[in-house]
Amino acid sequence: MKLGPIALVLAGATALEFFFGGSKFRGAWPVDWLLVGTAVVARWGGSGRAVLTGAAAGFLEDALTENLLGLNAFAKAAIGYLLAFASVRIIFGGALAVGGVIALCSLANDAIVAVLRFLLLNSPIVLGTPDALWRAVATGATAGALEAAWSFPWREWREKRRQRRLR
Amino acid sequence: MRSPSARIETVGRPRRGGVLLAFVLVFCVLVLSAQAPARGRRGSVLQSWILTAAAPMVRAVASVSRAVSGTSSSIAETWTARAENEKLRRELQKRDEELFHLRAEVRQLRGENSLRASAPFLPTVVGSAPVLLLERRAGLQSALIGIGSAAGIEGGAPLAVPEGLVGRVVIAGRTLARAQLLLDASAAAGARIARTGELGIVRGDGRGALRLNHIPTTSRVRRGDLVESAGIDGIYPRGIPIGRVESVSRGSQFLDIRVVPTAPFSRLTDVLVLAPFPARPAEGTSAAR
Repeated sequence: MKLGPIALVLAGATALEFFFGGSKFRGAWPVDWLLVGTAVVARWGGSGRAVLTGAAAGFLEDALTENLLGLNAFAKAAIGYLLAFASVRIIFGGALAVGGVIALCSLANDAIVAVLRFLLLNSPIVLGTPDALWRAVATGATAGALEAAWSFPWREWREKRRQRRLR
Repeated sequence: MRSPSARIETVGRPRRGGVLLAFVLVFCVLVLSAQAPARGRRGSVLQSWILTAAAPMVRAVASVSRAVSGTSSSIAETWTARAENEKLRRELQKRDEELFHLRAEVRQLRGENSLRASAPFLPTVVGSAPVLLLERRAGLQSALIGIGSAAGIEGGAPLAVPEGLVGRVVIAGRTLARAQLLLDASAAAGARIARTGELGIVRGDGRGALRLNHIPTTSRVRRGDLVESAGIDGIYPRGIPIGRVESVSRGSQFLDIRVVPTAPFSRLTDVLVLAPFPARPAEGTSAAR
């Protein structure tokens, strides 16, 4: 994966984050688009690019929502590396495995941020809230759906449909 | 069979990724350590710059999002317009009656208010701002709002909606500001139980509710009591509703009181920005004194 597509993925993820974040229906399907973007780069771009994309996405998230710069960057860089490392095994598991792993990554991101906030800001550790679980489900399901859409044999399906019409 | 160079390539890549990961993580730790002494009070200059730089893109995307959700809402509303019209007509009649009573009350209260010397404690609305992003992660509850230093907003300005208190601005860029919501696990506000007048501290639990602390076990507080800001913390003005008592249980020294916020945090679309409290004296006046 080249740098241009990676920048495009990051920009797209950021735009989606604000598109849904600014809407009043934001709580209905709260996907962590920046994590999905990191996972996309990890699937095709290798570990180095996944680390850098995760760090960039995290820094952006921190600048806009966190008290300290680097909390989400730390978490997303580590998750990007692990996802790139395990991507081949996960992809063989299909869309369900991809969705499950991304949902776990969303919870892991929360856990890393919570521990860092506790260590640096002395904030209480708050984990496993309904909001966090729902976001993990939404992020996992969205990533699974994207994987299913990507691995679906669209060309064969279109060909079959065309042949059926001709008959 | 793979060539030796291909083998080196496959072995080298994860190692290179690991080195890069280590480098990025160390960099993050250094950045975090550099900021830690500030304890996140007002944020860094870098954050302020990033907020300012991100503003045009954020505003553009948010306006598209608002337009889309507004259009979908207006399409849905068309279907229910007739029934709503009838309902509104009835409501208008009811409001007219209320207005008549309220006008009489206002006339009476105006006279009383002029006698009160509480003017400095009344909140002053600086402006309203759209909520562009709401983040809830690991106890953090923050919002990005579409107003900044260009409109005279600075860190510490309280935020509210007609239903109640929302939080405060932490860091302001030129046209964007980041706010800490009252539900944040590290947010707190001086509070007063409106019925009994007892003072305590309201804290966010990071899970969408509030806790009212430091209320003695002898208190007569009960479920449904209104909790409002007390104006004792130097941040929030007095008398703004915070929430209603949902449950009261006995702790060892104090009561354990759970409060449900009156502001609709999950459906926030716009917030009112209040003047920082206590109001800062105009430049020159304090120095002269």
